Amino acid sequence: MITLTNTPTLTTERLTLRAPQPQDAPTFIEFYKTDRAQYVGGPKDDKRGWEFFCTEIGHWVMRGYGMFVVTYQGDDTPLGIVGHWNPKTWPEQEVGWVIFEPAIEGKGIAFEAAKAVIDYTWTTLKWATIVSYIAYPNTRSIALAERLGAVRDEDAETPGTAYVYRHPRPTA
Amino acid sequence: MTVTFSTPTLETERLILRAPALTDFDVLADFYASPRAEFVGGPQSRELSWRNLALEAGHWVLRGFGRWTLVEKTTQNPVGIVGLWHPEGFPENELGWDLFDGATGKGYATEAAIAARHYAYDTLGWTTLTSLIAIGNDGSRRVAERLGATYDSDFTHERFGPMQLWRHPGPEALT
Repeated sequence: MITLTNTPTLTTERLTLRAPQPQDAPTFIEFYKTDRAQYVGGPKDDKRGWEFFCTEIGHWVMRGYGMFVVTYQGDDTPLGIVGHWNPKTWPEQEVGWVIFEPAIEGKGIAFEAAKAVIDYTWTTLKWATIVSYIAYPNTRSIALAERLGAVRDEDAETPGTAYVYRHPRPTA
Repeated sequence: MTVTFSTPTLETERLILRAPALTDFDVLADFYASPRAEFVGGPQSRELSWRNLALEAGHWVLRGFGRWTLVEKTTQNPVGIVGLWHPEGFPENELGWDLFDGATGKGYATEAAIAARHYAYDTLGWTTLTSLIAIGNDGSRRVAERLGATYDSDFTHERFGPMQLWRHPGPEALT
């Protein structure tokens, strides 16, 4: 078995954030088949969804960081993916978020996970900047970025057609 | 904390076969941007090439096997990607090869494919192996012929177009 090991795990009040594993593939692929994936590169059919899940894992190999799978503590069912995304062609390092099922929305899961990732990014990864690229008009995602304190940066370069939300560096 | 990735490494007379890495990106992106990538979904953008490189790595985790980057011993340069491939939508386990620009005509694809095929049969215990070759990709077909593979059937890939499935000699025929 070929594995990715020594990846970090983050915990919040309700959640565990861990690296993606092969058993998460079906949930990820199902999400990408739906219109809910329209702002994050989807919808994608089974084949492209499978390939993109490989890319999610491969991002960890390439960068040493990547998107975490979010679960409730004590229940390994994937609720979404929240974490770091930085293809070599992108202008800046991103924190992004996806919640798979509508039933999970409205519970503050994405906020709680993204907050933990952003804190980890400043304190442990020590990135100089954090942005979130949000496709227009993903209003739910924009609302979350604003709730996290991010501010739209109209001057920043984007990797495609997206708004750039810049997360404020915490004052020491 | 350093993320670790437990892939096997193979060695041939002139090549090291190791896991794909970020340092392969520029040469891979140049390959995928060139007309030579026409049979493997290209030419394509650097962004998509980055996703392809990460996909190569993730394939190892999901399938337990994958493709290696070929490193030329004399120069330490990445010169191609060869190995065992089975993304969703492929009919069978495949032995595939792509050589980067400037690395053709040296027998590297054949040399690496022989090592990868031995690994599939001897270490993974596979009993058969195929290669998908796009119609018109004569260079790739000649590699298949040198490896002793023969035409098996037709296959249409949704992005790569009409292809031929070639079948390699099994483990018994190679011993």
